[in-house]
Amino acid sequence: MQATDLKPHAAKARYLSVALPPLAGFLLLIWGLIHHPLPWQGSLDWAPSLGLTFAVYVDGLSAQFLALITGIGALVFLYATGYLAGEPRQGRLFLILTVFMLAMIGVVIADHLLLLFLFWELTSLTSFLLVGFYHENEQSRTSARQALLVTMSGGLALLAAILLLGEISGGYSLQALIAQGPTLADDPRLPAALILLLVGCFTKSAQFPFHFWLPNAMTAPTPVSAYLHSATMVKLGIYLLARLDPALNHLLLWESALMSIGTLTAVWGAVLALRERDLKRILAWSTVSALGTLTLLIGLPNPGAGLAVAAFLFAHALYKAPLFMVAGNIDHATGTRVIDHLMGLHRAMPWTAMAAILAGLSMAGLPLSFGFVAKDLISVAKADAEVLTVVSYATLFVNAIAAAVAGIATLRVFGGPPRWPRGEAHEVSWRMALPPLLIALVAIEFEFLPGVADPLLGAAAIAIAPSLGVIRDIDASYPSGKVITATEITLLVGLILFLIWDWLHGLLQRIHWLDRIGPTACYELLLKQLTRVAAWQTGLLQRGRLAGYLSWTLTGLLALAIGASFAMHQASEPGWGGLLDWSTLVFADWPAQHWAWLTAAVLMIAGAAASMVLRHRMALLMASGLVGYGSAVLFLFTGAPDLAFTQFAVETALVVVAAALLPHYGAPPVLSNEPVLRNALLALASGAGVLLLLVHLFALPADAQLATWFGEASLPLAHGRNVVNVIIVDFRALDTLGEITVVMFSLLAALPLLGALARSVKREG
Amino acid sequence: MKISKNPFELAPAINNSRNLILEQVMPLLYGVILAAAVWILWRGHHAPGGGFIGGLTALAATAAQAIVFGVPSALRRMPLGPMPLAVTGVALALCSGLPATWFGHPYLTHLWFDVPLGFTQLPLSTVLLFDIGVFCAVWGTLSGYIFALLRGSDATSPGEQS
Repeated sequence: MQATDLKPHAAKARYLSVALPPLAGFLLLIWGLIHHPLPWQGSLDWAPSLGLTFAVYVDGLSAQFLALITGIGALVFLYATGYLAGEPRQGRLFLILTVFMLAMIGVVIADHLLLLFLFWELTSLTSFLLVGFYHENEQSRTSARQALLVTMSGGLALLAAILLLGEISGGYSLQALIAQGPTLADDPRLPAALILLLVGCFTKSAQFPFHFWLPNAMTAPTPVSAYLHSATMVKLGIYLLARLDPALNHLLLWESALMSIGTLTAVWGAVLALRERDLKRILAWSTVSALGTLTLLIGLPNPGAGLAVAAFLFAHALYKAPLFMVAGNIDHATGTRVIDHLMGLHRAMPWTAMAAILAGLSMAGLPLSFGFVAKDLISVAKADAEVLTVVSYATLFVNAIAAAVAGIATLRVFGGPPRWPRGEAHEVSWRMALPPLLIALVAIEFEFLPGVADPLLGAAAIAIAPSLGVIRDIDASYPSGKVITATEITLLVGLILFLIWDWLHGLLQRIHWLDRIGPTACYELLLKQLTRVAAWQTGLLQRGRLAGYLSWTLTGLLALAIGASFAMHQASEPGWGGLLDWSTLVFADWPAQHWAWLTAAVLMIAGAAASMVLRHRMALLMASGLVGYGSAVLFLFTGAPDLAFTQFAVETALVVVAAALLPHYGAPPVLSNEPVLRNALLALASGAGVLLLLVHLFALPADAQLATWFGEASLPLAHGRNVVNVIIVDFRALDTLGEITVVMFSLLAALPLLGALARSVKREG
Repeated sequence: MKISKNPFELAPAINNSRNLILEQVMPLLYGVILAAAVWILWRGHHAPGGGFIGGLTALAATAAQAIVFGVPSALRRMPLGPMPLAVTGVALALCSGLPATWFGHPYLTHLWFDVPLGFTQLPLSTVLLFDIGVFCAVWGTLSGYIFALLRGSDATSPGEQS
């Protein structure tokens, strides 16, 4: 047993079956695509009274994402069984990974915006758990928290955007929203909704200035990086942008924001890739850069860009996921991912090297690869759109860096004389070598058999740009001389960058001020200030003394009472006159049970007065019990027998239990430094405030509508004469269900605290 | 342990000496209070009472038992134990709403049946199930609190039977 744990590669084949669900999903998708024309739709009523439906709409774009989620998912799961062989917690990882996959599927098929949001947040949450999988490592915890805070804040912005869009369009259906399209622009709330929507999408897809969480999330296990941070989750923002683009692309704000932020992210991500030595982080920055390119493409006004988006989305997933896996394999075999220590691995790891080279071809955009097709379509789209020259140069630069990164990940690491830190490097098991090779081969195969990919990409492109009309044949446009030239220039610049990589890296490393400014520093500062503010206000509000809590509660009550009274008074008659009109509290004639009322009042006043004078705990307990009984008597004679009943039971139980407990907690502490005068004033003031509130409440006309309805409906509708109980168990049963659940959970939360209390008492005793 | 000299202090009576009268009465009292609790639960739909008050009354029986004979004894006389009882209660209340969905009504629409007993009709309903759930949740949770507090005070009474 111990021996197998020490040699992960010899570990038994476990968890192989986890790859079956995504594989089954993928096969089902393929079968569906062949036999049933898109779009597929359906809906299931969820909470019809709230307008919530489980509405599903699958068109080309959704199908493309589904193919990525399930297809790459199956291979990532297979890869993970090899990568994590011998890891005792792999069951947990597969569980979270499966939940994540289902959530991803949910996002891309949801047609109801709130449903989409629900799954969207679920992906953020599972991503947090996956990034923090090695939670014993502090770096891992910090990164997980960062990813969670950034994506969840974006999620909140997205929720606000969804609610605004729902208000504007009068419904939450995505397709209905897209169909309304240009008519949305008339609403003055649209710019706010757009900005919130963009923030939501930009945080998810790591766009500037929210890009920094993605490279830090590389502390996740490599299968997670390959799946979440290259192929699926980080593309969700892109998905939603592409999905809503047909409705919004006529807006200047939308186009300019997408194009400027996209370009900035693409360039910035590419530059920062140069500062890294860790292969995985280099790949992560190039992912940021690619996501920027996608955003930029969505922002382009012409329909041809839709095709470019669909193609590049596919191409990127198909080369980046294998490259991440390659980085994981190298890490596994040699124990490092730092490119300085790695050279000439091709002899030791031939299969991994082949996967790397195939994926690298695609990433560099070389002919014979799917990446080439994507780059070609991007060039055509930009040529059609007459974009700014600066954007053109930016893409050239970004593509060149991508080519250089591809060179680093393949030629530099695998080529040349053998050199790595450990004595022996060996090829990884088939479960880790096969998946990257397969994905990379698929990319190549798409180039030779475009017929396989064309229909799917075409359908996706139509979803992004409905005006595209007849789909152009994807491979028709590459003989154009212009593209070849662009590719040549890109490759040439990429080659130069590859050769001077170390020099550039040294240059950028020396610019230390880059670390001190920028979004990362802002995030750190914000986090630090947040904890400081939290500490300050906790110290202020929670002094650990009951008297302190009570004085805050009373202050709040006072403020509320005065505010509410004043508001009520202003509503009835503006001005100050008559603010203190006591006449409403004076009875014209005594009610029938006035003796009972008086008795109750005397009981309560006596109890309260006694508790001020008395000093002994047991006597104080009795006095406070008197107040409780007094109020129970009052309830009894004001037509609330149930309430009185409950009050009696609670009060008795409390006094008896407290009486049994009190002696065990020692003598009461002597309170010498208590601000008596201030407390007394506060108590008086809050009492007066409540009186003032009562004055104004009684001045309001009594609305007996509800009471009458419940009284009348109780027997015929709910078969009960006790209206209170009928309300509790029938009319408002859902509230009661919530309450008893809270009661139950309160015990769950209180038990550890009470246990700690018991231990501390025992220590002192 | 510090024992105050103040005459108000009840502690010695409860803690350090056996309370013979309570010990004699308690076995009977426990049953009576519990029966009263169930009766309060049952009548609750037409007269003052119901699951919440019934649960509190049952709690009184458990609390008295725990104070007189100690926590373990009270635990033995209680069905399931505090946390499982509370969970069962919430689960009962949750499930009481399900049958309605089978008949196409919204969740938590209560259904009524009359069971003929020959001499009279016994009205049963999912409301009763719900109310029993409330009863169990209140009884279980609050006795959990009381047990934890009594345990914390190390109040294993000398009269404890074991």
